[in-house]
Amino acid sequence: MTILDAEISDLIDGRLNLERVHEIQAETKDEDRRRRVVAAWQARLGWNEPILLPLQEGLFIVQCGAQRLVRCACGRDFCEYHTNWKEHALVYERDPQDGAIYDRASAPTAEWMVLREFYCPGCGTLLDTEGVPRGYPFIFNCLPWFADDAGGA
Amino acid sequence: MDMPFKPLQAVAAPGASSPLKAALQQRRAAFERTGVYLDHFRHKDADPIKFEVFYTKLSQYINNARDLARQVAASPEMREMGESVLGLYTPEGDAVCLSPGLMVHVRTMSRAIKWMIDNDYETDVGFRPGDIFFNNDPYIGGGHAPDQQVIIPLFLEERLVGWAGGMSHVSEVGAVEPGGMGISMKTRFHEGLYLPCVKIGEHDLLKRDLEILVDRSVRASVWWLLDTRAKLAGVKLIRDAVHSLIAEYGERYFLEVGEEYIEDTRRATVDKMRRVLYPGRYRDVGWRGVDQPELQTFLHAPIETTIRPDGTIFIDADGMSSAGQHPVQATLPLFEGILFNSLIQHVFYDTRYNEGTAMVLNYYVPEGSACNPPDIYHATALWGPAFAGGIACNQSISRAYYVNGYLEEVHASNAQVNAVIAGGVDLFKRKFAGWNMEMCASGAFATAFMDGLDTALAEFNAEGDSGDAEIWETALPLTYLGRSIRVDGGGPGRFRGGAGLYSTYLTPQVSRLEVGSFGGAPIFTAPGLMGGYPAPVPTVIVVRNTDMQERIRGQLPLPDASLALSSSTDAGAAVHGDWEFVKGGNYIARPIEPFCIYTQPGGDGSGFGDVLRRDPAGVRRDLDNGVISTRMAGEVYGVVLDAGGAIDAEATEARRALMRRERLARGIPAAEYKRRGREQLLAADLPRVGRELYKDILARPGRFRDEFLGFWQLPADFRMG
Repeated sequence: MTILDAEISDLIDGRLNLERVHEIQAETKDEDRRRRVVAAWQARLGWNEPILLPLQEGLFIVQCGAQRLVRCACGRDFCEYHTNWKEHALVYERDPQDGAIYDRASAPTAEWMVLREFYCPGCGTLLDTEGVPRGYPFIFNCLPWFADDAGGA
Repeated sequence: MDMPFKPLQAVAAPGASSPLKAALQQRRAAFERTGVYLDHFRHKDADPIKFEVFYTKLSQYINNARDLARQVAASPEMREMGESVLGLYTPEGDAVCLSPGLMVHVRTMSRAIKWMIDNDYETDVGFRPGDIFFNNDPYIGGGHAPDQQVIIPLFLEERLVGWAGGMSHVSEVGAVEPGGMGISMKTRFHEGLYLPCVKIGEHDLLKRDLEILVDRSVRASVWWLLDTRAKLAGVKLIRDAVHSLIAEYGERYFLEVGEEYIEDTRRATVDKMRRVLYPGRYRDVGWRGVDQPELQTFLHAPIETTIRPDGTIFIDADGMSSAGQHPVQATLPLFEGILFNSLIQHVFYDTRYNEGTAMVLNYYVPEGSACNPPDIYHATALWGPAFAGGIACNQSISRAYYVNGYLEEVHASNAQVNAVIAGGVDLFKRKFAGWNMEMCASGAFATAFMDGLDTALAEFNAEGDSGDAEIWETALPLTYLGRSIRVDGGGPGRFRGGAGLYSTYLTPQVSRLEVGSFGGAPIFTAPGLMGGYPAPVPTVIVVRNTDMQERIRGQLPLPDASLALSSSTDAGAAVHGDWEFVKGGNYIARPIEPFCIYTQPGGDGSGFGDVLRRDPAGVRRDLDNGVISTRMAGEVYGVVLDAGGAIDAEATEARRALMRRERLARGIPAAEYKRRGREQLLAADLPRVGRELYKDILARPGRFRDEFLGFWQLPADFRMG
């Protein structure tokens, strides 16, 4: 059965009945899903620039004039999408032993790894975490291609 | 177009030329030239219903064969845990149809068959009706010595019409540690008995002398010997099925339709990729490590996944750590198998899977790296970076799904699985050895729409579960004091990772017992996704010189699994004794006395999304179920409860707003963070294990090094001090 708009909205919110999710997983994928998910987001966010793609939880690629920008749900623009948005985030390097997230017995020491947290400078949403040894570059997770991209050729 | 039918010739006699090798070379050259396995569907086009009916029959026969093999098997892992896969292969060794089970091994048996053909077995060893071959050499095809394959040629009169193969994990192989998987294995020569594509039987009979070899080379041979017979029973059933299908449909149909299934699968696979995954470049990084007194090292598994608009995929592991003198690495066939496993479970779960699936998978793994060792002497018992790479690939696939809006397919990462390994002589004077696979019930990844399941699965075995404690007690006589879900086990997130399992055992009164855990380094191995946190690090706990004997005699309370949940100092109050905590769980098997306590953690799944977006009702539910602590509820999720334990929505919202402001206050601009990081790198002001990592992975020229230097704006001749 075709997934309904209301169901897409519930899926985004994590409220869709799990039996229905399982049915959707088992069905042939609806080919216009991206367009419908984008429409659902566009309707609920408080800005008008067209969403081109959902990039990840909390981030979108939006058309701003001639530019395709990475934008937080709160409306904060990070950068042009070919650049890693993390380079425009706030970064906090957490010692996993600080006891704030993990009990100390269940966390690496900073000798091995630190826990990087990337926050939106606009709203303080935690957009990504990286458990990495000190000195590791930011991971550029997602570079989707557009039809007119050199990379997409 | 009606193609002329040319049945294969009988296989060559010793000393003759090898028509099979020539056919395999032709097949490879044709694929290289055309990019397709077959350019026509003679039978599918002529009668698609017959085409599907035949496949259904074939598939059912092979599933039955696996079920039969499980009934014959001795080991709990093959009998109860589903650690096996059986399949049918073309005469040149391409997989046509496989049972469910260990998808890692879809192509490893194919590689073993082709290895025999490439190495002139047809002329030098001979392929004859009734021959039985065995392989557990991972450099030929497999993961490690416990991955054991039984392969038989299928003949119609004197003509080879295919192969049947069965693979299962056998967890005692005569290695330096019991259980076939141990952190102390530094080279292949510590890993036990290898039989690289050895003919172990003729005329349908296993060779007695080789069974004696096995019996005297491993600690306890019953699993190896009986599970070999189990696989043999399974592949013989496939042979019977093939004869029956040929009798019904004819030899020509059988041979040609097998090739069509491979091409049909290849096309379906490309089509699925093109339809569901958004094209682009995706990157994720997996980590493993070794933590031993003489060697502390990271294993770095960076994976760049390129999904092209035409539906093909390229996986680039440039920057992977080098191979070394430890077992946390993998052969190239295994790395390929892990990727295969990831993709079948995550994308191709609704297509056929066979050689055609593998044909869309293109990859680069640097030579000499921990997933492509420079020679066959490198140990591979613990696979580490291959699993880490598979996890990274899965995260990237999730991103490609997310961009397309298919949230129902998006998930964070699975746990690294740990387990207890043990060997010795049991209460009935029987030799035993193996690893307890109950930790296959690890915590599952969080998804974009629900929490990860607790005590649910293992990355490598979708059927895995914990098994019955009573069965494990007969297999490995460690007495269960209890099992428990790990509190605060899953990585926090909007959707949390699933919590794993802890088991606590009492060591029995036996004359000989050694116990260990292959575990991992004390690092995050299950990264969070899109704001979710990684899964925590598990800890093995060992208590020696305990007062357990006195407690039992005095009928005093005994500790249960909850002992494992308090790995802090107050746990000492529970049991008197000498406590040892091994974070990560790299615990080499060693002799241990009766009445000791040993606690084994499994693994946990990682989280998805920002913790402050978690529905407070989910936090309350987790508290009610004992899955999280009050500390986690308040300090991590920012949920405020009133005196009666109900959610105070207003106070929760206020607290979360404050926590967001605290983030903004403590975060520094990325540019400033990078400036400080650059100074640290130039001054080599990093912990030793990190410095050693960068010395290694920056020594090899390539994309990763170039981008590392570019990111930190380091000079082209930069060397880690």
